[in-house]
Amino acid sequence: MNYPIWQVPAPGLLIALVSILHVFISHFAVGGGLFLVLTERRARQQNDALLLDYVRRLSRFFLLLTLVFGAVTGVGIWFTIGLVHPQATSSLINTFVWGWAIEWTMFFTEIAAAMVYYYGWDRLPARTHLAVGWIYFIAAWGSLAVINGIMAYMMTPGGWLTERSFWSGFLNETYLPSLIMRTFVCVGLAGIYALLTASWSGDPRLKAKVACYAGLGWVLPMAVVVPLTLIWYLMAATGAGIPAAEILGADGTGLPAMLKALFTADGTTGYPAAQRAALTSIAAAGAVILMTLFLVTLRRQNYGPIFTGLLTGLSLVAVGGGEWMRADLRKPYVIGGFMFVNGVRLPPPPGAIRAPADVQVADPYALDVLRRDGLLAHARWSQVQSAAEAAAHQEPAARAEALFRTGHELFNLACTKCHTTDGYLGIRPLVAGKSTTDLQTILSNLARPVNREGQETSWDDPDLRLATWRGRRMPPFPGNQEERYALAVYLSRLGGDDRAGFEGPEAQGASPAGLDSGRELAAETCLLGHDPEGDWPMAAMVKGRDTATP
Amino acid sequence: MNGFPLPPVPVPGPVPQPAPAWILWGLLVFTFMLHLLAMNFVVGGSVIGAVTARLGRRGGRPHHAALVHWLTQAMPIALAATITFGVAPLLFLQVLYGRLFFTSSVLLGWFWFAVVPLVMVAYYGTYLLAFKSASLGRWGGWIRWLTILIFVTISFIFANNMSLMLRPDLFRAIYASGSTSHANLSDPTLWPRYLHFTLAAVAIGGMWVSGYGLVCRRRRPEFGQWAMRYGAHWFSGVTALNLFMGFWFLFSLPRETMARFMGPVPVATAVLGLGIFAGMATMTVMFLAAHAPRPAPLVSGGIGGLLVTVVCMVLVRDQVRRGALATMNFEPVPWVEPQWTNISLFLVLFVAGAAAVVWMVRALVMAGRPETGDGPV
Repeated sequence: MNYPIWQVPAPGLLIALVSILHVFISHFAVGGGLFLVLTERRARQQNDALLLDYVRRLSRFFLLLTLVFGAVTGVGIWFTIGLVHPQATSSLINTFVWGWAIEWTMFFTEIAAAMVYYYGWDRLPARTHLAVGWIYFIAAWGSLAVINGIMAYMMTPGGWLTERSFWSGFLNETYLPSLIMRTFVCVGLAGIYALLTASWSGDPRLKAKVACYAGLGWVLPMAVVVPLTLIWYLMAATGAGIPAAEILGADGTGLPAMLKALFTADGTTGYPAAQRAALTSIAAAGAVILMTLFLVTLRRQNYGPIFTGLLTGLSLVAVGGGEWMRADLRKPYVIGGFMFVNGVRLPPPPGAIRAPADVQVADPYALDVLRRDGLLAHARWSQVQSAAEAAAHQEPAARAEALFRTGHELFNLACTKCHTTDGYLGIRPLVAGKSTTDLQTILSNLARPVNREGQETSWDDPDLRLATWRGRRMPPFPGNQEERYALAVYLSRLGGDDRAGFEGPEAQGASPAGLDSGRELAAETCLLGHDPEGDWPMAAMVKGRDTATP
Repeated sequence: MNGFPLPPVPVPGPVPQPAPAWILWGLLVFTFMLHLLAMNFVVGGSVIGAVTARLGRRGGRPHHAALVHWLTQAMPIALAATITFGVAPLLFLQVLYGRLFFTSSVLLGWFWFAVVPLVMVAYYGTYLLAFKSASLGRWGGWIRWLTILIFVTISFIFANNMSLMLRPDLFRAIYASGSTSHANLSDPTLWPRYLHFTLAAVAIGGMWVSGYGLVCRRRRPEFGQWAMRYGAHWFSGVTALNLFMGFWFLFSLPRETMARFMGPVPVATAVLGLGIFAGMATMTVMFLAAHAPRPAPLVSGGIGGLLVTVVCMVLVRDQVRRGALATMNFEPVPWVEPQWTNISLFLVLFVAGAAAVVWMVRALVMAGRPETGDGPV
């Protein structure tokens, strides 16, 4: 709205692709640094020429992977989020520029140390070489510790929502569990990369040595610690208002309930995308652990690149699934409690720090302002400024056409950060056969503000929770009544109703009360998510019930 | 459908700017200078390396081969420095001018995104040359030219973005075209700006070669003398051509922006005047160095002159931006809440990081060269 929209299909997938690749490499960049320096020290202490030569070769692979792919994809995330979500990026930059600047000091130290470490193998005294390795690791871990704060803030912004201070946002509820979890992921990934590089060796002694050392000393600690920190992380997130149990489809907030839900979820409760991501991640992590144990116990002298390549690929799936789930836990926010994925901001809670009176500027992209003035009135890049104009056409065909075009513009503004028309999270199958009345009802109920007890509250409640439509983790529709109708016309036409928009003026403004207007309408409306192809197929829910049971 | 009633420049969000503008500006200029020096090694050094490799194919030119070897070995490090020093100015630019920068980036779309894979491919190209140049044969030459092509393409994309962000009057028309990627080709400042900067990079690449000759003149006197003169040839020749590009750039600026340099804004006039003077003086000194029997003192002076020129030209570039921002009535973020603790922490860590880097690099250099001859220093 404030910025132009980069109109590529499913831009969120592009962020996911770049981010997951970067996370996978960058965690190795941290853990690998520790692996190199500790393994070098061990090799030197034990006078183990074989192991020392192996570490040396690993350091070249490390250099090529982390400095090039890791560093450039890190910059790539920045490029990508700036393109896809300039509002959120701008907000993050203004809040955390000094965090990033501090991280940059660690970044250049880390890059220089990696280079000196590699080029210094034949030149530096062992003691100095090891010191350079430690400098590398400390800088790399420091970099992680800073970025982790910003990422955790995006989900649980802590006291920042009212205090607007760097540290109250940075040291938020999920910071510590997330940092420890990521640190052990770094350690485990270092072990997996070590196995991968050792698998190219033709020397069974080296393979056995690395298998035992990396498998038992690096991969397995990750296997033990990460689930424990995951529990801590989910509890911390729940405490901070993230409905983790609801998203995972659990019937309680305890961990056993969440785990049970993951393995028993049939898609009828919770948020299926998050459930799938979590289950995929857990399954892949489990496979990694089992394969590592198998390798250490039975194949320590005889494993090749195919086996370790599969191990690495499964690790990528585990990391990717975890990151995906984290992003889904955050939905429908891009910055928790502050900004929705479509760039709309929540009004600040009472008592929040605001700009001094002499520079006070009303936020035109706050939800209350947009609902009052209309989304299009503040859409800087839209040539359509008013849905009321479209609805005012007297001639039905012209009105329908104008409403369709206006609705299309609203769809671009409010929905395309996540939805495409027919591709990823395609909207067409979800609205197939829906009338404008149904769709207005649904749009009115995408998200409602509730408090901790589930009672209706205001959008600026400091203890705000969201009751989302069928748990779909959607943001509220951010426009006025005329715009809601125009969007409903557009969606209805997409769904195959060619007469949408031809209705009389009475069709506009179906209220949420329409939900109670009868079983027929409610059943029809429910089909949004319960089509045979939808996320929650109705067939699975009604299986075994008789026709008398609704 | 009745046009656009709102101005094209996005409004600031409800988050304060976390530092006074002068601090952000100072860091933007300082870190950009570091980026520029490293980037010029990459672009200029690559061009000089490729041409020198070609010239060196004729027999009896061992210095050519030695220079190409050094440039090839140093290139991945220079590229790492370019990226690392490029991150910081981009960060501070986004705080100060993010509303323009994000908008122009979105309009460039895929072109802007393409920088990431392009850098990656070129980066691996430089490592391939550094680690495997002996076994690449004729492919080595192709890879050299491919990386140059990528580097100049990336420069062109950056020139597009940096010039487009100063043209909000073009934003709407570009966005209305509906494309997901757009270049700012119609801007009259684009080509002179791009060519001026690219030629400057090649010239400064020549200065890096002369500087390298200066550093190793005692250890390898014959090669050192040759490299100083060879680099001086590149610097003086390309700078002579670049003078014309600079004036083309100046006269392509919008009238109001150009006028800043003609007296009304003393700082703008001073930095341009001093920059042109220092540039021409450096060019003359390097021309003399190229033909001097003992070029070392001249090269030392040339390096000093070049640093003055670079500082001035970075400030001239900043004045061009300020002129454009003044023309469009760009308002800075009104709400400023400096995070002094974090600013202090940053400065302390910057000094600590720089000290650690100096210590590590010094240890490496003092340790001497390995027998294999691999490595840049």
